[in-house]
Amino acid sequence: MIDATITVTGLRKRFGPTTALDAMTFTVAHGQVTGFVGPNGAGKSTTMRVIVGLDAADEGSALVGGQPYRRLHKPLHHLGVLLDAAALQPSRTARDHLLWLAHSQGLTARRVDEVIDQAGLGSVARRRAGGFSLGMRQRLGIAAAMLGDPAALMLDEPFNGMDPEGIVWMRGFLRSLAAQGRAVLVSSHLMSELQDTADHVVIVGRGKVIADTSVAQLLAAASQGRVTVGTDDPAAAQVLARSGATGVTVTGAQTLSVTGMSAQAVVAALNAGGVTFSEVSAHRATLEQAYLDLTRDAVEFRAADGPVTR
Amino acid sequence: MRQLHAEWTKLRTSPGTKWLLAGIIAATVALSALACAAIVCRASDCGQDPVKLSLTGTLLGQAVVAILAVLAVGGEYSTGLARVTYTAMPRRLGVLAAKAAVVTAAVVAAAAVAVPISMLAGHALLPAQSFTPPASAVLRAGAGTVLYLGLIALLSLGLATAMRSSAAAIGTVLGLLFVIPILTQAVSDPAWQRHLEQSAPMSAGLAIQATRDLQDLPLSPWAGLGVLALWAAGALGLGAWTLLGRDV
Repeated sequence: MIDATITVTGLRKRFGPTTALDAMTFTVAHGQVTGFVGPNGAGKSTTMRVIVGLDAADEGSALVGGQPYRRLHKPLHHLGVLLDAAALQPSRTARDHLLWLAHSQGLTARRVDEVIDQAGLGSVARRRAGGFSLGMRQRLGIAAAMLGDPAALMLDEPFNGMDPEGIVWMRGFLRSLAAQGRAVLVSSHLMSELQDTADHVVIVGRGKVIADTSVAQLLAAASQGRVTVGTDDPAAAQVLARSGATGVTVTGAQTLSVTGMSAQAVVAALNAGGVTFSEVSAHRATLEQAYLDLTRDAVEFRAADGPVTR
Repeated sequence: MRQLHAEWTKLRTSPGTKWLLAGIIAATVALSALACAAIVCRASDCGQDPVKLSLTGTLLGQAVVAILAVLAVGGEYSTGLARVTYTAMPRRLGVLAAKAAVVTAAVVAAAAVAVPISMLAGHALLPAQSFTPPASAVLRAGAGTVLYLGLIALLSLGLATAMRSSAAAIGTVLGLLFVIPILTQAVSDPAWQRHLEQSAPMSAGLAIQATRDLQDLPLSPWAGLGVLALWAAGALGLGAWTLLGRDV
């Protein structure tokens, strides 16, 4: 099988005064789904465009199976790519769109019909792609990415515009690709989309990698040492602070998040202080929370910042 | 080879292509026939070059050629399809060459239909005249007009690749073709007027249609077509340079 890894090393790129990529470095391994996550403007799409040679980086290298993409012979056999599902000529039919792509890789119409079935587009393949919903266009983009039966796939925001049924389908599809041993890189600005899909995440902000870790490790680190307390007693926070908690944060109308104490110690302290509570549990972070913790400093545009004045 | 196949499939499956090709034929034939039918002739001589007159429709047909060639490139940039194209085929100059080949082939095929029909229509509509052009000149005018339209396609394709915008490219091509001749008329100095006629793509290129009074032409028929070929080569060069130097 063709070497499937994608290796990005020290990519830098500036657009005028804006630094789009700032020493972006990571590797996408085969046999797993790697989430590529970061706020809008973090450099995800630029990185992907550099990988396929559409954009030239100022510095650094991007290799697909050890080679620069632009030097690949029939590149879609190595890397299946979906950068922008809306990038279609609206008056061309879905099948004809796939047909010229197939011809560009030396493939025939038979392979086109196979990927149409694989993406569940059989009933609409001869309709004009301009009439497709964004979700349908994503499926068409997936079909195009699968044409060359590639060892690696790179998909930019494939969940965008999909209905719930489509999202479930996409998750299953991405999992099956990884199970077949392919390397799959999937970008998203919503971490929650990747829950139960990604095995590994590369979290980026402001053009560089903030975290490059397995999902299991990320969740464990984010959950570590936190205890969630459900109580409506206003004295609870004070009691816990006096009993050795290193941090007490109000996370909801009736919930506190406590660090520095085990769940048993929290229960003992609350009982001793005569505080009533409905719940004490070891905190289990969602991927979204773990992500927000990590990117708090790196978020480029925050709603609370308000408009920039000059 | 794969690039040619892909670009051919792309052109073939774009619904606008067949209408624009039909438009090239219709515009060329219709205006040619109209010009021949409308000319008022004295007894035995119209005072005109009958071959050139019967190819008057080239003036309109070339505008449709420009639209077809510009849209083949500009349409990819406006929809974002260019990114898909250059991801599938990263050798950018190969894509430009393939696109130029298929678009020009389609235009030349349409022109090869339009030109003989126009010339036959002219022959039927124009009254018998004392001047009969030599057969070799008639053949040269007809074949040259087909080549002229092919070169207009290449000029348009090159400019569209450099500009990446259909509107800007169509405006530039039509400006080059039609505005320079108008400006030429406004120039009072005859030497400068002649220089402009020798170097403007349309006035130089259409010298290929002349079969009468060749000594009065600003430059010889084939040299004129050569000037247009230089324009087309320059536009393609500009397109190639932009394509290699800029992010898609």
